[in-house]
Amino acid sequence: MIALAIETATPACALALEVDGRVTEEILDLERHHTEVLVPGLARLLGAAGVAPGAIERIVVDRGPGLYTGLRVGIATALGLALATGADLVAVTSLEVLAAAAARAGARGELVVLVDGRRGEVFAQRFALEPVAALDAPRVLPPAALAPELAARPARLCGDGARRYRDALVGAEVIDLAVPPPSAALELSRGRDPVAALTPLYLREADAVANFTTRTRAT
Amino acid sequence: MERVLGIETSCDETAAAVVAADLSIESSVVESSIDQHRDFGGVVPELAGRAHVATIRPVVERALAEAGLDPRRPALTGIAVTAGPGLVGSLLVGLSFAKALALAWDLPYVGVNHLEGHLFAPQLETPPLEWPLVTLLVSGGHSMIVYQRGPGEHEVLGETLDDAAGEAYDKVARWLGLGYPGGPVIDRLAREGSPASLALPRGMLGEGLDLSFSGLKTAVVRATEGRDDLPLADVAAAFQAALAEQLLRKLRAALERRDARSVALAGGVAANSALRQGVAALAGELGITAHLPALAMCTDNAAMIAAAGLYRLAHSGASPLGLAARPNWDLREVA
Ligand SMILES: [Zn+2]
Repeated sequence: MIALAIETATPACALALEVDGRVTEEILDLERHHTEVLVPGLARLLGAAGVAPGAIERIVVDRGPGLYTGLRVGIATALGLALATGADLVAVTSLEVLAAAAARAGARGELVVLVDGRRGEVFAQRFALEPVAALDAPRVLPPAALAPELAARPARLCGDGARRYRDALVGAEVIDLAVPPPSAALELSRGRDPVAALTPLYLREADAVANFTTRTRAT
Repeated sequence: MERVLGIETSCDETAAAVVAADLSIESSVVESSIDQHRDFGGVVPELAGRAHVATIRPVVERALAEAGLDPRRPALTGIAVTAGPGLVGSLLVGLSFAKALALAWDLPYVGVNHLEGHLFAPQLETPPLEWPLVTLLVSGGHSMIVYQRGPGEHEVLGETLDDAAGEAYDKVARWLGLGYPGGPVIDRLAREGSPASLALPRGMLGEGLDLSFSGLKTAVVRATEGRDDLPLADVAAAFQAALAEQLLRKLRAALERRDARSVALAGGVAANSALRQGVAALAGELGITAHLPALAMCTDNAAMIAAAGLYRLAHSGASPLGLAARPNWDLREVA
């Protein structure tokens, strides 16, 4: 089995390749250069493993929520690869990948994952970790709006949103885990069915403001 | 034979096409997200980006199928994709998709300048072009006059200093409450109106070959504010006449200064009836050939990107997989 995981939901760009049970993982870049680094990094990773691109059987993609441009690069790349190779596409979310990674690192109890949503907001979801299970739906909100919930029902935090807004969320323990690891995405995706279409999880409507200048009609 | 897959996602059209080395079009598929932008009076970048993600795979699949190509092992020799100019969140969808195909199929790919693509469009449509050629490229995003000694050799003689011609149409249509896009509706209305009913400035009629439309737009606003008595058809006719006259005067000056043997129209505004008639008449008067491609070749499509890509792959070579999108890529920097 040859499986690939593509991670582009945060400013980081990362890949994991599984060849007959052995997983290689690489963070290619940390600063939003998804367009430039993703496919060259994939070519290098496949070359080092001696795997032809056409041999990829399964592509696991982080569909967000997260950085819109990053998600578009990761998903468009996965769609192109799937068309050319016939590989199955499997979707995971950035929030569940981070939860799985925290559990893998030994975290227990409850976890609220926060992915930086920019514009002063975070994408957030609460998980139980033994085993990893979502306790609510992903949502988008200002980090300060989480404070009452965390006071009433404590949880550890992780994700680049937790790192960025640490000061607004005093009292909660922040696990140092910002990049959703694609190796955790591979583990999480085992047994999951392929998807027919791959859509980013935006969690927001597109910013679309009509800016009309229309004639003032005499009445 | 050489055969290139072209991919275009620079604005609101998701397009894919297969073009052979003799410039025959084996397939050309265009999906537009324009219906999603109508209510906003212009293309909304985030909506366009989302639409590309949803349509890129089916559009490319259809273009391959219609050309009789197997997506696992297509009989292609290269891939061409628009790398700029355009909306960055849209460009990177096509660019990422094309890179993935290039890697998986082990084919060379090239990032194409969208404007150079428009310049190649008349070659796909009309009888063989006679060089040197002057092209008037007018669209919602660009307006320029380009001299070409041969394919891929271009010199920008003049370009708009403010709005693009299509943008001027959209803004005036919006002002008049005619909806979006403005070109077709103003063109239709103008046929029933009298251009002489409203005196509008021609703008930028000096020596240079640069263009300007914002003064004309402002003049339309001033002349019509609170004037419900003016028939819309007359306003449309006067605006269209003024805009076409400016374009045709600059085009004439360009043709008189350079040794062109033919003149071509490109870009979405090339569908405009006043402009088509004016260019045909001008060419007749100067004794040169006019190339007026059909509307489908004037508006954004991927066949023109494939055609430019065939040229670039042969003359400039393939692009590296690390290529970034170039949202402000100037035609003068293409080599
Ligand atoms: Zn265009």
